[in-house]
Amino acid sequence: MTKKEMSALKKEAFELLKKEMAYIGIVFVIALAAFKIAFLNENFFGVLRVVASVFWLFVLPGYCVMLYWKESLEFLERFVIGTILSAGIIGILSYYLGLMGLNVKYHAFVLPVLMIAIGLIIFYRKTNKSH
Amino acid sequence: MVNIKVNLEKVLLAIFFGAFVFLGPGILFGHKISHEFPYAYFASDSFQHQVRADAIKDAGNFRQEAEYISFGIKNSIGRYPPLLYHLAVIFSYASGLEVYDSIYFIVIFFAIISVFLMYFLIRPFNRHAAFLSLPLAVLAFSQPASTGFLWGHWPSVLAQSFLIGFAWCISRLDMEKSYLLAGIMFSSVALAHTSEAVFGAIFVALFLAIKIIFKSLNKSEIKKFAMAFAISLIISLYYLPIFMNTWAKSQPWSYSFRPVWEGNPGFYIADFGIFLVFMAVGIAAALAKLKEMHTSLAFGFSMLIGGFLNYFGFDVRAFQIRFFWPLYLSVFFGLGIYFILRPAIKKWGIAHSSFFVLLFGILISGVFASVFDTEKIYIPHYKKFSSQGVMDTYHWDALKWLRESMGKDSKIYFLYGDIYSQDALLRNAKRVHYLVDPNDYISSINERKIKRSYVTEMPGDSGGLVAVRKGLFEFEYPLDSLPQEDFFGKKDICIFDYIVLDKASRQQALAQYNMMIGAELLKKSYIKKAFENEIVVVLKNDKKGDECIEERSF
Repeated sequence: MTKKEMSALKKEAFELLKKEMAYIGIVFVIALAAFKIAFLNENFFGVLRVVASVFWLFVLPGYCVMLYWKESLEFLERFVIGTILSAGIIGILSYYLGLMGLNVKYHAFVLPVLMIAIGLIIFYRKTNKSH
Repeated sequence: MVNIKVNLEKVLLAIFFGAFVFLGPGILFGHKISHEFPYAYFASDSFQHQVRADAIKDAGNFRQEAEYISFGIKNSIGRYPPLLYHLAVIFSYASGLEVYDSIYFIVIFFAIISVFLMYFLIRPFNRHAAFLSLPLAVLAFSQPASTGFLWGHWPSVLAQSFLIGFAWCISRLDMEKSYLLAGIMFSSVALAHTSEAVFGAIFVALFLAIKIIFKSLNKSEIKKFAMAFAISLIISLYYLPIFMNTWAKSQPWSYSFRPVWEGNPGFYIADFGIFLVFMAVGIAAALAKLKEMHTSLAFGFSMLIGGFLNYFGFDVRAFQIRFFWPLYLSVFFGLGIYFILRPAIKKWGIAHSSFFVLLFGILISGVFASVFDTEKIYIPHYKKFSSQGVMDTYHWDALKWLRESMGKDSKIYFLYGDIYSQDALLRNAKRVHYLVDPNDYISSINERKIKRSYVTEMPGDSGGLVAVRKGLFEFEYPLDSLPQEDFFGKKDICIFDYIVLDKASRQQALAQYNMMIGAELLKKSYIKKAFENEIVVVLKNDKKGDECIEERSF
């Protein structure tokens, strides 16, 4: 693969991520609005933190892992499946990491970072391979 | 035109998401996410799960059950399926919510997500049926199906969200490496509430049976199923021996016939009321297409059968499956509406589906309930329900004070309190505790006697057997070697570090008797009021074992 092709590939992957990150942003705003209306007695920053936590722990890691299936599934379907998949993976990994001695208080940071990184690496490699 | 269709779908999905958040956790939690005490907890089981998650947060892992959960037994292995508790703790750290709020939020949030999972499961089969199925799911957030949330059947509810995710994975088994998703999702079911994995297996068996009968099963599919189950087995390998040596031993399957879930507000098929007509049409339409049966239909049939296995020894587990019937059976509901209405409309499009979705949505959400007497024509609809539940700020403050102020090895004695029958809430003191038996207490009042010893229960969680792991497959059961009197029998109240008594009760005589005992105890100089608020008093006994109270008549 030439340098030019490589850079086109990176650009393509980046463009997709950019486009879908904008979608995620829109869903975030919708979710925030829905939560603020439903939890109208809660202060805005409390709601914001909860919604941000949902996105950090479940939405973003799930989205990144589901990028592998971007050709078979459209964005919204990957988004929903990714959210529940991330809950499963994070819950299972947290159980085992805890048993191995890594205190659960670190998992809210470690596990999403790990899943996002793995998801993006696999996506990048798959994009590379398919070209 | 295509763009308009796509946007209409997304707009409607967003509206439904908002509606589910509002009608589900919004109303149930009193329109607040964070509360000052466990809010909308209606049964001991809710506290049982909350306390376990809290104990995991304290310990940093779920290697063992906390001593105050396990009748004072040290080193008993963490035997409950761990997934919910870990998610609750992680979410608590990320969101800043207390564990009692985060655990409830996780359960109900993923129930909402599973509505959309079901939508995407049905969609490839029939987009209009998927749309039309959405409104029925509202009933999952209303009584009686919402018992799953209110009474603390949380691990089961969460596992059922994963179960729908698993069904979706099976529907997409044609995708590259999709067996990975199916394997992870099935382990998530097993590690959230293992009995739901049995229902997952029933679904797979039915799905494969249909394929075998109609000779549509190929080698590649068999391989993918095998890979998915192998992955799932590997992921669950550490926990499965624990499950087999605790839950499977204490609650083995045995035949029973239990048409009614006694003592519980269960969900019954008749609760669908007039909607059963649509569902019956949907089922008939699905059976007509048995040969090329879509996964969503096979899944719907499996869960319909699963919910009736209370007639075949599945008991409470079958009733738990019914909490999600409004989701599982929504495929038949959507399909039924589509089949009934389609002949009347020449070119059925997304706009028609949207119209009927909104119509049924408004009907089921209960908007008309206040205008028309929907009960009379028996249209099931959402019924608003919001209450703070069992706990209140006074008891919560007392429990908080106890766990923050007592020595680690101190023991507590609870005299009568109205809410203490939901005994798992007492574990929030995070110390080994004992509770007076209300029957003996009432007898003592009738005898007009103040006693030093009362019949006493040592509450704890024996569900699934308290076990100590001695090897990979070797377990010991320490409770078996302890005398029964340790857990239920006469106990001297003078041997406890702290005595908790309620100043108010729905039965005033019991509160007065509490106060009488309190006054007697306070006659001793070494017993002092350590904590007091409008409802609860905590007495501290500095001379354990001394004669702290004089037995007398009054």
